[in-house]
Amino acid sequence: MKKIEVALKSVRDEIKSFYDYKKWHFLTLNGVALEDNRMQVQWIFSKYEALDEVVIYYAEIDYTERIPSLSDIIPSAIISQRELVDMFGVEVEGSEKGLYLDEDSMQTPLRSCLV
Amino acid sequence: MSKKTIHIPLGSQHISLLEPVRFKFECENEKIVGVDSDVGFVHRGIERACTTKFKFDAIGYVVARVCGLCAITHSLSYTVAIEKLLGGEISKKAKYLRILLLELDRIHSHMLCLSHTCENAGFEAMFMRIMGDRELVMEIQELLTGNRIQFDYISIGGVNRDLDVQTAKKIIENLALVKAKVFSYIDEFTNNWSLSLKFKGIGALTLEDAYRFNAIGPLARACGLPIDVRNEIEYLPFDEVGFKMQTHNDGDINARNMVRLNEILNSLEMCENILRGLPEGEIFTKLKGKPKGEALMRFEAPRGELMYYVKGDGSAMLNRVRIKTPTFACIPAFSHIFMGEEYADAPAILASFDPCLSCTAK
Repeated sequence: MKKIEVALKSVRDEIKSFYDYKKWHFLTLNGVALEDNRMQVQWIFSKYEALDEVVIYYAEIDYTERIPSLSDIIPSAIISQRELVDMFGVEVEGSEKGLYLDEDSMQTPLRSCLV
Repeated sequence: MSKKTIHIPLGSQHISLLEPVRFKFECENEKIVGVDSDVGFVHRGIERACTTKFKFDAIGYVVARVCGLCAITHSLSYTVAIEKLLGGEISKKAKYLRILLLELDRIHSHMLCLSHTCENAGFEAMFMRIMGDRELVMEIQELLTGNRIQFDYISIGGVNRDLDVQTAKKIIENLALVKAKVFSYIDEFTNNWSLSLKFKGIGALTLEDAYRFNAIGPLARACGLPIDVRNEIEYLPFDEVGFKMQTHNDGDINARNMVRLNEILNSLEMCENILRGLPEGEIFTKLKGKPKGEALMRFEAPRGELMYYVKGDGSAMLNRVRIKTPTFACIPAFSHIFMGEEYADAPAILASFDPCLSCTAK
């Protein structure tokens, strides 16, 4: 598992230059709560027909920062972007709330997971 | 004929659905021109529960409850991720037994999907036949684990039950019966017009779109995309027990059916090879310590790639458990496939995806 840190403002350019959709398979978008109201956002890829070759691009952000959408580069990212919005209460460009949570549900359930 | 645009919902409760999901179709006359989906009806907050309610050594049993059909794949993916963090190697026998259960999960899950496909074709007799035959596999799972579904078989360091000679013999007998049944299904799915002609060219995904939408599982392999996690991980010796990737080129409902049928045959062969060549040794190795660091593990569930990411800080409670399920990952591909299809075919197309909403909403 190879991890590559990127700045949030350059994540679109970095992934756009890396992502060859016939070589790399987009696994998912992941969020991990950190201390001090911060989180790590991870874009996870695996290589087709390669043994255990996984690459994670990640950015550490404040919850208030706006995450750019990658759905024009990776169409399947749209669903995990919506999940991230619900679970962490962050803003992802063009992704609306409500995939899993209703208005009366517990909000941002994974933001407070750091125990 | 003039075009009339109408909006037709499918679900959340619908006769063709096994679980709640809602698609809102925008149709021009009978043709689908727009799709919106709602997949979150059975969200249970399992990822949060894993980091707030349970210690790491209990979570393997919690995540087995994410889904009744691929419980083994869930508990296996989580457990192996934790084993990576703890270090140490488990016995070869335990690895073989893990593959055995993984493949049995695939067989009965694919049989459920195929029976449901028959039901959608109006072929009730075939639906009943496959569901009846599926009991042979459920019986094997009960013999091995003590449960028909949601088996707590995988544990950190190995498996919870050994396999005795009598049970192995009974399993081999049942597998032979299932194999004969599967050959008869292949005949039906190839030659019966309700199951072959009706589904040819319907709900097709091209290879190019499979790459573009990151399709996985039988959906991807049915259009020729060679993606199967069993081919991409070293942890379990799938090649030793006879794994062969099954693909097709047409990408339609019929192709998905044929891929699943061939995968059942390959899984049966793998199970037989495991039972005839099961290594000697312990089924459990004690692994000490608490998970520290991050690990990611993938396995091929019946519907495609299942991924677990775990992060621990050396305490008994984990910081993060991320579950990426196959149906969830395929929702954008599903929506794309519906476009341009006839609304009347939507239930059959949806059934051919073999969606698992319990996994998706977790």
